[in-house]
Amino acid sequence: MFDSVLLQVPILSTLISHWNYIIVVVLMMIGLFIVISSLNLVKKLVGLTLFQTSVFLLYISLGKLAGGTAPIITHSTYASQGEAVLYSNPLPHVLILTAIVVGVATTALGLALVLRIYTAFNSIEEDVLLAEKRQIELDDAKNKTKRHRA
Amino acid sequence: MKDNPILRVATKILFAPTIVYGLYVQFHGDYGPGGGFQAGVIVAAAFVLHGLIFGIASTKKVAPPYIVNTLMAVGVLVYGGVGVASMLLGGLYLDYNVLATKPATGQHIGIILVEFGVGLTVASTVLALFYTFAGFDETRQKKMEPPHV
Repeated sequence: MFDSVLLQVPILSTLISHWNYIIVVVLMMIGLFIVISSLNLVKKLVGLTLFQTSVFLLYISLGKLAGGTAPIITHSTYASQGEAVLYSNPLPHVLILTAIVVGVATTALGLALVLRIYTAFNSIEEDVLLAEKRQIELDDAKNKTKRHRA
Repeated sequence: MKDNPILRVATKILFAPTIVYGLYVQFHGDYGPGGGFQAGVIVAAAFVLHGLIFGIASTKKVAPPYIVNTLMAVGVLVYGGVGVASMLLGGLYLDYNVLATKPATGQHIGIILVEFGVGLTVASTVLALFYTFAGFDETRQKKMEPPHV
């Protein structure tokens, strides 16, 4: 099959068997691109959230074991027969549960900062904000020289 | 979006089942995938949908902000209260085993109560965030009014 031919190539087979990493990197780069390329602060936050989500996916997919169950002790027949029970690693999952909650809080903080910027400057476009900032700095410099002369 | 009949009808159909699904995720969380965080967000999503379609003013009538703000604290209180209750019954903090005569039943009661507290807090916090950001315009207009000197 198509798969088996590709699997003969060492690098390709590594890539295919780690396809979750590819998805994670693609998502991460999309997020990074949005952060860099968009001038709107809310869109930047969207990109940052996408970046964050790709990290969540990385950890969750690392913790998942194929055919593994939830790590709960049960009175199943496996235990009595002395067989080991396959279970997914709960540590990354719990870590990411916390990270998701923290992510919600930081996103809310970022949005609050954007709102504050909007009330102060009436814009959330970065180029407008930078122009305004430069104007303010110019005005400050002018006022200083006036004070020196006086 | 108030005038679009499709959105209005779809919201009216979806609103209650979304909350019921949230409750399913909430109370199924001790044995299956789910729990307080996910259920809280699902329940809050129902109210956010309501707010998007019918306007934030009518959502504030359904779930008034003072009740939402109170529920945020009540959820934490339920979580901590379970811990203190197990201490009063002679166990350690959040030691569910002493909550009932049988340890297994105590574990059931404890985890359901704790997850209920988490769900309450998450749902009301997400809703409060939505109120804060969506209700931004009216608060801004209040600030823009000239102060009476």
